[in-house]
This record gives sequence, structure tokens and C-alpha cells, in this order.
Amino acid sequence: MTCNTEKTCQILGAEEAFVKDLPPRQERKPFFADSKTILGFLILGVALVLAFGGHLFTTADPLKQDLLLINQPPSKTHLLGLDSLGRDVYSRLVYGTRLSLMVAAGATGVALLVGVGLGLLAVSIGGVVDYIMYGIIDLIRAMPGVLFALAMMVTLQPGIPSVILAVGIAFSPNFARIARDTYLREMASGYVAAARSMGVGRLSILKRHVFLNIIGALITQTAIILPRAIVTESVLSFLGLGVSPETPTWGRMIANALDFIEIAPHAMIAPVAALSMVTFGFAMLGDAVRLRFDPLRCGS
Amino acid sequence: MKTMVIKRAAVTLYGLLLATVRALGLMICIAVAVFFLIRAIPGDVVDLKAYQGALDAHEQAELRQELGLDQPVTVQFYKWFKKMAVGDLGISLRYVRPVKDMILHAVPITLKLASFSLAIGLAIGIGVATAAAVRPGSIFEWLVNGINIWSIAFPTFSVGVAAILVFVIWLGWTNHMGNIWLPSLILGIDVAGQIVKPLHEDLKECMESSFIRTARAKGLTPLRIVFFHALPNSLTVALALGGIILAGLVNGSITMEVLFGLPGMSSLALSSIQGRDYTVVQAVILYLALSVVVANFITDILQRILDPRLKR
Repeated sequence: MTCNTEKTCQILGAEEAFVKDLPPRQERKPFFADSKTILGFLILGVALVLAFGGHLFTTADPLKQDLLLINQPPSKTHLLGLDSLGRDVYSRLVYGTRLSLMVAAGATGVALLVGVGLGLLAVSIGGVVDYIMYGIIDLIRAMPGVLFALAMMVTLQPGIPSVILAVGIAFSPNFARIARDTYLREMASGYVAAARSMGVGRLSILKRHVFLNIIGALITQTAIILPRAIVTESVLSFLGLGVSPETPTWGRMIANALDFIEIAPHAMIAPVAALSMVTFGFAMLGDAVRLRFDPLRCGS
Repeated sequence: MKTMVIKRAAVTLYGLLLATVRALGLMICIAVAVFFLIRAIPGDVVDLKAYQGALDAHEQAELRQELGLDQPVTVQFYKWFKKMAVGDLGISLRYVRPVKDMILHAVPITLKLASFSLAIGLAIGIGVATAAAVRPGSIFEWLVNGINIWSIAFPTFSVGVAAILVFVIWLGWTNHMGNIWLPSLILGIDVAGQIVKPLHEDLKECMESSFIRTARAKGLTPLRIVFFHALPNSLTVALALGGIILAGLVNGSITMEVLFGLPGMSSLALSSIQGRDYTVVQAVILYLALSVVVANFITDILQRILDPRLKR
């Protein structure tokens, strides 16, 4: 540290002494230096490769039934065995990965757009609109997500877009609440008052100042919602209210295998392991993302 | 002094009254919304019956008239609301049984599952968090993180399926149909994972505060300090999570009831939504809303008792 005058030297010296008394500041680790992050990326990388290039890894048709070989345990030709209708479990697993990730990404996108959009709209209009909207947001939040998505699925045509919509809307209040809370916090802060006093318009404050500051909290929430969306899709499929029955999904594989669990447990292990691995990977990654992007919890 | 006490009590009462009125308003809103939403779903119970068994057009019309489904929705709503106000839940459209009976049959199972899970979850969560606060650096601190990551990484759905595989199929300990302990344990660990980390963080902070130092200087034992001085302070953290925990419990109980074949409220909700059994759906959703409202109410009161700062 350089100082030009004696006076600044004194001030700087005092500051250094003050800093010395504080506990050592925690260095923020590089994003990829953490073993948990690497593990998370590794697991999700494998899932992504399977999702996009699934057809490269399996030649078996996930829908083809071989009724002579039903419930056959794993063998060389069928790596993970066959299920109760004689379909290749490995192939169904690979194709189910694509659907799970696709629905999760789509649903989280819908939740983000709807939640943040409505949340910010309501709070920037304010007054009665905000009160009513916040009431609705709280209401949906209080309702269990699975039940809400389930009720929506009954009204919609079964299919991938419906599942994305139902799961997305069920999770949108989480984003709405975060957007609203951080908006209110940021709007009360000094820099927004300064910007407003300079005559900056409401929309540009929202766009240039507030939005950039709430984005960290939104990314953190996204990392939390993504695995929950995957699980909700699986539960919907498991309950028979997800995508159309022919489509191979993890939830449907679990539901089918549950009836034959005593004869063919191998058909159950594969989808459960896949679901657990993916949620575990997201949890590992989510922790790293939270530490990096959530300014309120940094360093804890 | 005396007037202040009275004033404080009045403020508390006013707050509770306000909370009650809001809760009641919320309940009515939910009831109205559910009533109209469920009727927006294409196809009613008569269609379903006609689809399953042979009913000709005349019989369908007759059945609709008998069930009151031919009247305009607003008239149906008026009739239903009038009945609801005196506590009459109506008759199941599908099974022609009083809805009250069906709910009274299902509620004990769900309550049992929920209370067992909550008890297990609180015992594990509070136990591990306090142990970790008393003995920093011990295995309990590792357990705090372990349970927390477990509940984030492994949703109750996959844990439930895996538990059936391991405990029922491979080890052959129990039969999973109708078993209530296994789902309670799974949901309980999930609850524990949600409260253990915030509670531990708060306890850790609390253990460094000056009143704990005073208590230690007085010569109190660590256990006494943590249970009578630190824990009452930090329990508000767990209480503040009450809403999230409840939503998680209801969410988890849906899959648990289906996986373990328990005929509780979630199973009832599922089958009645699929069967377009309007009266049952309305009653079940109202029950769920009521439980959320009541739980929030209890949390609110407990918070006020435990945390005198909120009284003002």
C-alpha cells in the first residue's frame, strides 16, 4: 500500500491495525475448486449426455414388448433387465432421462417467468392489486405443490406441455414471493432513492437497478426448484396423471414396477437410483450456487 | 404497571382476532374457488358412470337431476353454501355415502401419519441441533449437515420406494401395505432435515451471546444452559418454518399414502379428483385448507408465547 502524505499514512496504518483485529476474511473459493460442485456437475453432465444423446447408447426400443421374457433379470443383451411387459429397462431409463430434464427445465422456466412477472407486476402496481395478488400467491404457496399440479393435470389434456404448465404454475409462487420481497427490500435502499431523486423513471429503476440485484436470489431459487420439479413430474407420472401412458418416464417405471416388486425388483432399482442420483447432483450443485449467488448468505 | 399488562394483553388479543378474521376470509375464498374450479373440469360424475357402465341418455338426465347437477352453477353454489354454513358436507356423488363418514374414516390415518412424522422429526431435529451446539466439532455437527443434505438430496418419494425395496423386499422385515412406521420415519427425517440446520445456526449464535456467558459464569451445567436458556430462544426459528414443514408433510403424505396403501386424506383427494366426486373434493380441499390455517394459527400463538418481543 502506498501513501503520499504522512496524514494518509496514519489513516491507512490505523485502518490496517483495525483490519488486523477482525477475524480473517474468508476467501471465496473458485467455483470449481469444491469437490461437491465437481460431483454435482459430473452427475448432471452424465444425465445431460444421456438426455441428448440417449439414442447413441442404446439400440433397444423403449416401447418394444417382449412378452416371452417379462421380468427377466439383467443379462448381457438387456443390461438392466426387462420389466413386467418385457420392455428394456435400460432403454426406458435413458429415454426417461430426457423427459425428466426437459420437463424440469420447462417447468422451472414457466415458474420463473410467471412468478417473477406477476410478482413484480403486482408489487409495482401496488395497492389493492398487490394485496389480492399476494393473497393468491400465499394461497397457492400454502397448498402442497403436488396436489395443486395434480388438480391442474385433471383439467388439462395429458401431454408434455400440460405437465410443464402444471408443475410450472405450482412452483411459480416461490419465485413471485422472492421477487416481491427482494423488490421491496431494494426499493427501500439508498441507491434507489438516489436514482429516483435524479429523476430516473420507475421502469428503468426496475430494469437497470432492482432486477440486477434480485437476479442472484432468483438463480439460487432456480437451483432449489429444478430438482423439485423433476420429483413432482415423477410423482405425477407415478400417480398416473403425467404425460401419456406410453411415454417412458421414471415415475411410470416406478409405478409399473411397484406391482411386481417381489418378482422383479431390478425394474424398480433403476428408476429410483436415477431419480436419487439426479436430485443428489442438483443438491450438491445447488449448495455451491447458493454460496456464490446469494449475497445475503455469502461466506456462511 | 397493571395498565401496561392489560394493554399488552389487549394488543395480543387484537392481533389474534385479526388473524382469525383473515383466516376465516381465506377459508371462504378457498371454498368458493374450489367450488367453481372443480366444475370447470370437463366431464362430471355422471359422464364417468355412463362411461363405466351402460347408462342411456334418459337415465343420465335422471341421475343429474337427482344429484342436482342440472341446475345452473350459481344455484348449486347457493345450495351448497347454505348447507356448508351449518356443517353439512353433503353426500358423495360417486359412492352415495355421507362425505362426513368418508372424511371421518380418513382423517385419523392422516393425522396419525402427520403427528408421528412431526414427533420423529422434531425429536431428531431438536436433539441433533442441541447436541451439536453443546459439543461443537463432534459427530453431531457432521450429522446436522448430513441430515440437512439428505433431505434436500433425497425427496421422500424416492426414499419411500427405496425403503420398500430394502426393508420389505430384501430384508423382509415388514409388509409395506398399511405400515405406518416406515412412512412416518421417512417423513420425520425429512422434517428434521428442514429444521436442523437453521436451528443449529441460531443455537450456535445464541451460545455465544452474553446471557449464556452469564449463565456459564453462574456455574450452570451445559445441558441446563442449552435446554433452559438457549433452546427457548431458538425454537422460534423452528416455529417460523412451520408453514413450510406442513406443506412438505402434506406433499410427502400423498406419495406415502399411495406407496404404503394407507387410506388417508391424500388417497381420498386423489381418488375423488379422478372420479369427479365434487362434494368429496370440496370437502377434502376445505379440510386441507383448514389444517393449514389452523396450523398457522397455532404457530402464531406459540410464537407469541415463546417470543415476548412479538407481543409489541
